[in-house]
Amino acid sequence: MISTHRLLSIRSLIRYAQLLFCGILLSTSASAVERSARLVLSELILSDKSNQTELIEEISNYGDLIIAEIYQAWRTGGVYTLASNEDTRLIHFNSQQEWTLLATGEVLSLSEAEIESLEKERASRAMRKAMKGIIDTLGLKAAESSVRIDSAIKMGRSQKPEFVEPLEARLEIEPSAEVQRAIREALAISLLANGDQAQVLGAVEELTVLKSIAARGFIEKILKGEEAASRGESAIAQASKKALRTIEEHIRMLEFFGSFFRGFSTGSVLLIVSFGLAITFGLMGIINMAHGEFVAIGGYTTFMVQNFFINTWGIGSSAFGWYFVVSLPLSFIVAGGIGLLLEKSVIRFLYRRPLESLLCTWGISMIMQQGFRLIFGAANVQVNNPTWLMGNLSFGGFNMSYTRLFIMLIALVVVIMTWFLLRKTNLGLHIRAVMQNRSMASSLGIPVARVNSMTFALGCGLAALGGAVLSQIGNVGPLMGQAYIVDSFMVVVIGSVGNLLGAGLSAMGIGLVDQLLQPSLGPVMGKITVFFVIILFLQWRPGGLFPTRSRSLDD
Amino acid sequence: MLIPMLNAWGPESGFASISSFQVSLWGKYLTYAILAMSLNLLWGYTGLLCLCQSLFFALGGYMMGMYLMLMIGDRGAYKSTLPDFMVFLGYQELPIHWQPFYNFWFASAAVLWVPGLVALIFGFLAFRSRIKGVYFSILTQALTYAVCLLFFRNDFTFGGNNGFTDFKDILGVDLNAASTTRALYIASALLLLLTYLITSGLLASKFGKIQQAIRDSENRVLFSGYSTTSFKLVIFGLSAMIAGAAGALYVPQVGGINPSAMEATKSLEVVVWVAVGGRGTKWGPVIGAILVNLLKSYSTQAFPDYWLIIMGGLFVFVVLFMPDGIVGVYKQLKNRIAQKRSLQTATA
Repeated sequence: MISTHRLLSIRSLIRYAQLLFCGILLSTSASAVERSARLVLSELILSDKSNQTELIEEISNYGDLIIAEIYQAWRTGGVYTLASNEDTRLIHFNSQQEWTLLATGEVLSLSEAEIESLEKERASRAMRKAMKGIIDTLGLKAAESSVRIDSAIKMGRSQKPEFVEPLEARLEIEPSAEVQRAIREALAISLLANGDQAQVLGAVEELTVLKSIAARGFIEKILKGEEAASRGESAIAQASKKALRTIEEHIRMLEFFGSFFRGFSTGSVLLIVSFGLAITFGLMGIINMAHGEFVAIGGYTTFMVQNFFINTWGIGSSAFGWYFVVSLPLSFIVAGGIGLLLEKSVIRFLYRRPLESLLCTWGISMIMQQGFRLIFGAANVQVNNPTWLMGNLSFGGFNMSYTRLFIMLIALVVVIMTWFLLRKTNLGLHIRAVMQNRSMASSLGIPVARVNSMTFALGCGLAALGGAVLSQIGNVGPLMGQAYIVDSFMVVVIGSVGNLLGAGLSAMGIGLVDQLLQPSLGPVMGKITVFFVIILFLQWRPGGLFPTRSRSLDD
Repeated sequence: MLIPMLNAWGPESGFASISSFQVSLWGKYLTYAILAMSLNLLWGYTGLLCLCQSLFFALGGYMMGMYLMLMIGDRGAYKSTLPDFMVFLGYQELPIHWQPFYNFWFASAAVLWVPGLVALIFGFLAFRSRIKGVYFSILTQALTYAVCLLFFRNDFTFGGNNGFTDFKDILGVDLNAASTTRALYIASALLLLLTYLITSGLLASKFGKIQQAIRDSENRVLFSGYSTTSFKLVIFGLSAMIAGAAGALYVPQVGGINPSAMEATKSLEVVVWVAVGGRGTKWGPVIGAILVNLLKSYSTQAFPDYWLIIMGGLFVFVVLFMPDGIVGVYKQLKNRIAQKRSLQTATA
């Protein structure tokens, strides 16, 4: 990696990241090769017959997907030679419609005259034949194991006999167990079409053990073939039935865990957002209808920080990945500041008037929404994921995206921090005192006004933190908070107002039930069902999960 | 009693110079005013801040809309007796729950009982478990949200996103004729008057006294041996029916309805009308609904980018500085007159 980086200029880094963003992972092979794939490839294109075989041999060791891209361009006439005084340089007209130096990937600005003088390079028939095998199996040598897995499965699914040999060859040297598994799966799928009876039976059994989802269609085809030939009871047919049963069970299990996982991550976002609400609503008695707009502030702060990083360091720089880390505390601070201002100017007149606070904050939410539209436009803005949050953690065929895992982590941090703040600090003590009895706290010398401001700011800050996190999995727009506000209020009501443990549990519960119901009922009916479950739940426990015990009647 | 007459008949008296568009516009405002009054009955006099009033309004509207959709007959874009959206979605025949809506009187009854029934069921569940205050508001908002999602679905047989539109006839007369517009306006005005009479009748009665006592201290009423649940349930159902009736008059005057009419923000708007006009006053909601909507129509045209900010600012201002709304300011300024007037209305 380091050697490539040295060769690439900043602008090509941008392109590099753009390619990454498109899901194409570029990297050089891990094997001990010093020269970049681009360099070897450019030599190959310029070579004469004498050392072609050698260079093809060399390039076949690389697993860099750029080879496929450039080869494609070469085949279709996108590679040119530019003859200058010093030497001949190869130019590649890439998919971003830029002229790049093929050997390094550097973006060039060519003059009109230079473009005129370009000459097309064409791959010869022999070269195309030699390269085809390399390109097809390129993915097997990629540095990223996920690319290797994808490529192996793709080769298996094509069921082409010519892929058996490279797959077997790779299986022997493959270090990763997961990729080995994928290759075995691919080989078995390939055998389904190419093997004799015994081999097919073996392959079906192998696929049963592997619980191969990719093989389902192929096994179904085998079973149909057997039944069509009225051999419905043959060993192959029976093995196929068993395989299909196992695979379907596996799929159901994966779906279940998938919903579970999504439920937890949805619940996590809900938790962060509703913790803010639980603080302003539960602890302070202020119904903050503008809470959703504070979520949006978090999203927009992330957007601004991202743009700042892009403008300062460029999208491909390693610094760019840090923007999200910076934006998390910053959105908390920005929203906290705005919340503080709001509390000082408006909210402090509304304590003990919850219904009025609802109206007033709704007016504020309208103003803020329109403010977002005026500043950032009515359309959603684009927030890119940092590269370190892309990709999945795979676990027994079950993928968990890093983004969602990270969200859960943030939620956990928020829970711990809030608990710490409320239970272990002076401010927390004051907050709880004011919440229990405002006038008593005041007469005991607690600076109620200041505590109120801080609490409100804290609630708004948490909302924005939720928004910053949400920017990674959802849209950032003027209405982004609206989707969460109703759910968050539900969370607070279910979890007993003012009880953070309850809010946490009910956020997770609502997230889970919502996601578990969605596969069978669809998103809308799922939401409606959740709502009615909540109403029924409140019949059973009107005070929520952990009702506050109080002797006062009108609480 | 003179002011309501003037208020309701004012635009009517200058009818000759006002276009049909203006008449239906004012008719729309009147239905909004009725909606605001129905909320006032709940919020102003019983202390229940209901955030699903626009849901009842829209439900009433949908019931009337179903009748109007069927009255299009085969003059729709697809020349089928089925409503256009059903043809578009591939329905072969009219769903069974649509059948009775060929009858105007059935539809009119449904305008009342459907919202009423929803209110009763929801109210029963909510009041039984002593959900009150803010929690009631939040739950009603969630109810609106859930039903709104339901109506946005195409397979819910209510036209999905686009709802109902392109109405032609009502009771066999052309909906767009000037006389129909006028009649609808008069009907709205009459309903407004009726709502006013119901409100003041209730307030004068023992029922109304208990209602206001619930607002002021529910527990004391409870301890005095009254079942506050039943009282709240009745008033909730009544208010839903009034809102439904307003919605039924709204739909033919506006010429369509879609699920956005029941979005949560619409209910909040109603709350704001009441708050601006004056919560718990007889005419406050009417004044609030008409004034806010006039301001809305004006500012959406004059400052399209800033009207939300103007409206938002207005609400903040009203809540902070005019807790009793416009009517309250009037009282403050002309205290004696206001006192006299309230005496008059109390005896009336």
